[in-house]
Amino acid sequence: MMEGRCAAEPWAELGLSVKPGATLVRRGTGTDVFICTGSEEVYVFSAQEKRVRAVLQLPAPVRDLVFSHDKQLLFVACRSGIYRVNFQLLSHSGSSDAGSGPAELKISSDFLAVAADGVSSLLLVGSVLLTLCQTDRSWLLTLYKTPQQSQANRCDVIGSFSLPVVSPSVQGHTESKCVLLCVCLGEVTQPSSPAAASDAGLSRCHLPLRPALFKLLFGVEAALAKSPVILCGLPDGRLCFLPLRLPGSRLRVLQSLEQPVVFIGASVAMETDAGCAGCLIALGKQGRVMLIKAGRAGSERQRGIADFTEGCVPGPVECACVDKSRLYYSTGSDLLTLGLSEGSTGREGQEWDEEASGSTAASLNRPTSLNVSGVVALDQPTCNDAGEVQLLSLSARGQLQRISLPVRGPEEGSNKLPSSAVGRSVGDLLSAIGDVCERASVLEKVIRWKNQTLKQLNQVLNVSFLLTDGAKTEEKPIRCCASVGWSRLLQKDSLNLACVLQNFSPYILERGWTLSLTVLPLSCSPQATEEARSVNYSFPFCSLCPGESLEVSLPVAAAGDASFPVTVACSLVFSLCSLLGGEEAATPPDLPGDCFSLPLNTLTVDWLHALRLISPTSAQKTLPPQSGSNPAGDLRAFLSSRRAGCRAGDGAPRPEGYSARVRVSSELLGHTLRWQRSDPDPKVSESAPRSFCVSLLEWLLSEECGGVRMGHKGDKTDISSSVICGRAPNDATVKLTAKEVHFEEKSDVKEESLVSLEVQVESSSVAAVCGLHHAVLRRLQTLLLKAPVKAWSSNKVQISGLRQTLQRAEIQQGQISEALSVGMSSGQMQRILLRVYQQLRDGPLLMV
Amino acid sequence: MMSLLAKWTRENNELAFNCKQQNDELNRDHNNLFSHRRCSSDFHKLLRKLQGIPPHSDHAQLELSVVYNACVCLTALSHFEEAELLLTQAAHRVLELAGEDRGTSDPSVLWRAALKSVAGTALHRHVLSLLCLQWGIWLAKSCLNPIKEFQEEMSLLERQGGAVWDDCRTEAKEKIPNIPRLVLDPRRLAELLKICTAIVQGAERLNEGWNTLSALQAAAALPAPRALIAYTHLLSGSCLAHMNRPQMALQCFRRALETDPRCACALYQSTLLYRQLGNVQAEIQALRILHSTLLLPPTTEPAPAAGRLLSPSLFLCSQSLGSLLSVPSALSVLHSLALKCVIHDRVSEGVENYLDLLAALRSEDQHGVTANTLTAHAVVSTLPKLPRLYLEAAAALLMARRPADCMALCDEVIGTILDLLPDKVLLEDPEDGSVAESREEREEAESGLVKLLWAAAAYLLLGHCYAQQEDWKQAVTHYTRCFNLLVKVHCKNNAFSPQVSAPDKESNQGVDLCVLQRLKGISLAGRGISFAQMDRLREALRDLHLGLQALPEGVSAGQWCGEVLWRLDRRREAAACWEKTWSHTCPPLAEALPVYAQELQSGPLLDPTELRSRLKELGPL
Repeated sequence: MMEGRCAAEPWAELGLSVKPGATLVRRGTGTDVFICTGSEEVYVFSAQEKRVRAVLQLPAPVRDLVFSHDKQLLFVACRSGIYRVNFQLLSHSGSSDAGSGPAELKISSDFLAVAADGVSSLLLVGSVLLTLCQTDRSWLLTLYKTPQQSQANRCDVIGSFSLPVVSPSVQGHTESKCVLLCVCLGEVTQPSSPAAASDAGLSRCHLPLRPALFKLLFGVEAALAKSPVILCGLPDGRLCFLPLRLPGSRLRVLQSLEQPVVFIGASVAMETDAGCAGCLIALGKQGRVMLIKAGRAGSERQRGIADFTEGCVPGPVECACVDKSRLYYSTGSDLLTLGLSEGSTGREGQEWDEEASGSTAASLNRPTSLNVSGVVALDQPTCNDAGEVQLLSLSARGQLQRISLPVRGPEEGSNKLPSSAVGRSVGDLLSAIGDVCERASVLEKVIRWKNQTLKQLNQVLNVSFLLTDGAKTEEKPIRCCASVGWSRLLQKDSLNLACVLQNFSPYILERGWTLSLTVLPLSCSPQATEEARSVNYSFPFCSLCPGESLEVSLPVAAAGDASFPVTVACSLVFSLCSLLGGEEAATPPDLPGDCFSLPLNTLTVDWLHALRLISPTSAQKTLPPQSGSNPAGDLRAFLSSRRAGCRAGDGAPRPEGYSARVRVSSELLGHTLRWQRSDPDPKVSESAPRSFCVSLLEWLLSEECGGVRMGHKGDKTDISSSVICGRAPNDATVKLTAKEVHFEEKSDVKEESLVSLEVQVESSSVAAVCGLHHAVLRRLQTLLLKAPVKAWSSNKVQISGLRQTLQRAEIQQGQISEALSVGMSSGQMQRILLRVYQQLRDGPLLMV
Repeated sequence: MMSLLAKWTRENNELAFNCKQQNDELNRDHNNLFSHRRCSSDFHKLLRKLQGIPPHSDHAQLELSVVYNACVCLTALSHFEEAELLLTQAAHRVLELAGEDRGTSDPSVLWRAALKSVAGTALHRHVLSLLCLQWGIWLAKSCLNPIKEFQEEMSLLERQGGAVWDDCRTEAKEKIPNIPRLVLDPRRLAELLKICTAIVQGAERLNEGWNTLSALQAAAALPAPRALIAYTHLLSGSCLAHMNRPQMALQCFRRALETDPRCACALYQSTLLYRQLGNVQAEIQALRILHSTLLLPPTTEPAPAAGRLLSPSLFLCSQSLGSLLSVPSALSVLHSLALKCVIHDRVSEGVENYLDLLAALRSEDQHGVTANTLTAHAVVSTLPKLPRLYLEAAAALLMARRPADCMALCDEVIGTILDLLPDKVLLEDPEDGSVAESREEREEAESGLVKLLWAAAAYLLLGHCYAQQEDWKQAVTHYTRCFNLLVKVHCKNNAFSPQVSAPDKESNQGVDLCVLQRLKGISLAGRGISFAQMDRLREALRDLHLGLQALPEGVSAGQWCGEVLWRLDRRREAAACWEKTWSHTCPPLAEALPVYAQELQSGPLLDPTELRSRLKELGPL
């Protein structure tokens, strides 16, 4: 845009290290330039002689300096106070030492005007000196009256205004400065009114603001009182204002930049009123620009509302200044300029509103580089006769420069572009095309991913509906079945469950699903809590197509652990995270919020499943089980046998073991399991009773009950007799005997015999007997549920049996109540209860 | 060891000497903050040296003196927390010296223990003087309970103090270098604190509704600076005023003024009392004196002995005292003086006051804040908003028959406000349930309404000015402009535009609506009168009728309505109209409403006697 290069004319090399943030360049009287670099010295540079004319030595680092309006006095703010220096003193000392080195002037405490700590900014309004400093809890703006006669130095406090510090955390920049500016009401209507003339001295140092903007921002009262208004920008980003001459006025917040305010200025941009600024500009450290204008008088809504336009320029902003239409600022590495007058062309029309303000906002983002680096301080720009804008700057290396900017024609740059600019614009276009391409591919990827996710979500929804609907029907299309088997690892036997998830549904289970299995013993010691007892296993899987199955295996119980039966609750868990995120979903979901769980079926592993078969002979030889390869088991067996022997030796004759019996009508079994009729096995038909017993045992041991099969296929050959021996999970030896019992109904007229099969469970361990009995009953129960409902033996009701049973039940009840009555020792009670229990198990009813 | 002690004593004495001298020098200036700060840091350094070694009876005197000096400097800087910390440390060290430090944190227990441990020794008076400083700090922090607890010790301090310190002084003369010097005589400090305590306690108890007359009168006899004695009289006066004895209260205020002529708060309290009594002339007089008192340059009288280092204002910062001692700013006083004059038929005086006020507002010396004389108590600003002030001044000028000046003021107001006026102001019914939902909107609407009313009033006054100059055409124009602005106000609820005759004290909006209604009535009446003067009787009659509708008690509207009817030869109606008007009494100007929203009787007047004679001619109805 601005292809004319700016010229930087180095004036002087001060050869100083400059502390950014505390540097100042100010034009003073005549051609003098005052420079301070954050140290204790203020250099007076003569632009005419191009040399440092004098050095003011102050007692503390200089924070700010300000001139009186007649340029007769200089006020310098240090850490320890404010010092007042008369220029006559300077010129005197300067002239006497002309030719030799710079005159040194030591500013002692005789020059002290105000003893105040931590003054960060100064401003002189008329005869009033304003200081801004931060105390612990507030910002303090103090007004001092400067003495009229030039002899006295001391300034009297007129008053002070405070503003609470908001949050100390925002500041952090203790060394960063505050900005003070004085604006006043501009006179547009009567430029030559007597009031304006009388205020001429005043307004020279203030920025006259367009009345409309002034009134909108600072109120009618300030305008009516023609009061100058102090604007201050604080390091916490707040822009505050104070009408100086209004009774009862206070420091109020106008707006917040939310970053340290580096500069406040006013520009005549967008204004034709001569000398009146129509736009206030605030610039933040990180490059936020705020333009404050009056709403356009034409539009209805805008009237009475100030228009705050915010923009951002690349920061960080070190220093800035503004002339009529442009903002100049330095980032330390480059000096940039920002046009402010873009909106002025459309001004005459009413259609200014959105479009133009949009263009203003856009123009804020396009600062132009002036290719001057290292500028840390700028003075107000001046305009020379040729119309060149000249900036006075101080670089970080301590170089004082005058930067002349080329004259800008009205429509310059828009018609003809130099070749370099053409090349640049082609490059810009190419890079823009590249950008578009890149953005398009990114968008495409995103869309693809979204589609995929939607598809996946659809599958998930289908599966979910299927499973929730399936609750009504018996069999879910996605279910688990399992087989159990003993394995030995590290000389320890354990029962493993191989669980197979079968997908019979037409949908794919995709990534994100997790098979969750909860193993929970049905009964165990009452001390254990639910959480402690149940164990949860999760198996995330990638995909499971229709018809496929997934096998996982998990330990159910260790040998010696008798907490059977065990239920395994299967469920499918879907994590929503996996839909959105990629990798993190691979971990098993643990947050309940972002996943949902669909229950499948529940498997039960009972004592029969956990039974290990051994040969009956070995079982008879050594009643305690013995497996040669298990010394620990041997030892335990030995010990238990010894103990049993001891106990037997005690003299208390005990039965050899416990037993329980289950009787079931062979007819019922045969019909239901179709042994006889549908399966005319010659061997079975040959010796029907025995084969019935064998097949019953076979069935008991091999039947897939509740979806769980037994894994000891190799032992199948052993089941040739009607007696099988096995080892229960608690290492007790058990004996299962199946035999055929002819049950005769005597009392009736007709004598009919009912053939039934009896399964007897014998073991020395009560738990094993109970568990196995329960398991056998459970099998038969499921079998009966499946049995065809026929009036098979309805006429063969065992009346006498029932009667006997009823009598027995009465006796047993009496025994129980006797046992539970008071005055019975617990040992006795246990014995009685056990006996009743055994009786109950021993003389069962026949299942028909 | 002894040489070290002597060295430290000398250091302390030098510091104290410097401090006193600087203080005397800097007393003229306000910012002796600097030297105080240096002094306190110097004393603090010395103290740290001293406290580096365990407490020992040999140098305990010196240590306590240095603590005293440091704390006086810190108190002068209002660094009460740090001073209190030093004092507590010192008390602990005293206890440690006696070997009975129990580590208590309750200050009153601590001090009692400390006093008991040194009872009968030479250290006793040092501890007492430290307690005295602690007393001052309690007072400054408005903790009156511990002060009450230690009342006995305080009086003890005062009684025995005199003798002991005299002793010590003679002793000091004998062997000067060995006695540590103090920057401030503890007796002076005790005196100062005693009267300050009496004042603060009096104010507190007055605030709680107690009768503290006797205590205050006793305090008035204490040796103290004049300003503080004046405060005791002032408080007695306030107490009497509370007891409903205004004349005696006025006597007390007078005595306060006699004691200290700069006691502006006494004057202010008397104006309030005069207002309560309805004595307008005395109130105006008092306001005038108050204003001139407030304009006096700040006090230059030599500070009292203790005041050199510690100003009484350090200790008089209790809230209830602050509210009693607060005085409106000079400008506020001037404004109420001007308003009083204008309302109570002293127009020319009022005009002068208004012009002074405007000049003061425009002067460069006015800076929103005014420095107060003795104490830094808040200055109350009761000035109305500036446009209203301008309009009041303009109305006064109009009443003083200075239409040109009035017009200048009105033009300024209009010029400032005109481009900020809203196109429409929508008012919601305040009794509606939806108050909270659009609070901001309502605030905006209200400020719009206020601006609109200002502009309308300015036009109204302009119309009055032209009417006074008998430029009827211009008058009609400006009355019309006024009316056109007023009709921009819409009330959302139709039922909510009643004939608000008396200002509703509850809400601002009520007053604004009342002003709106009155401005409507007056502007219509003014236009009607102007039309009547231009002999456009039909328009005149219409406007006068409308005006009467808007403001039924409008006197000039009623009279002129009758006159126009008479001219239209509707004499019976005219008679009825006049009779009705006369049945209202012409209300005097009131303070509740802005002056410009009341009938100023500035326009053409009709002579009631002449009208009555016409009625007589007409004969009975």
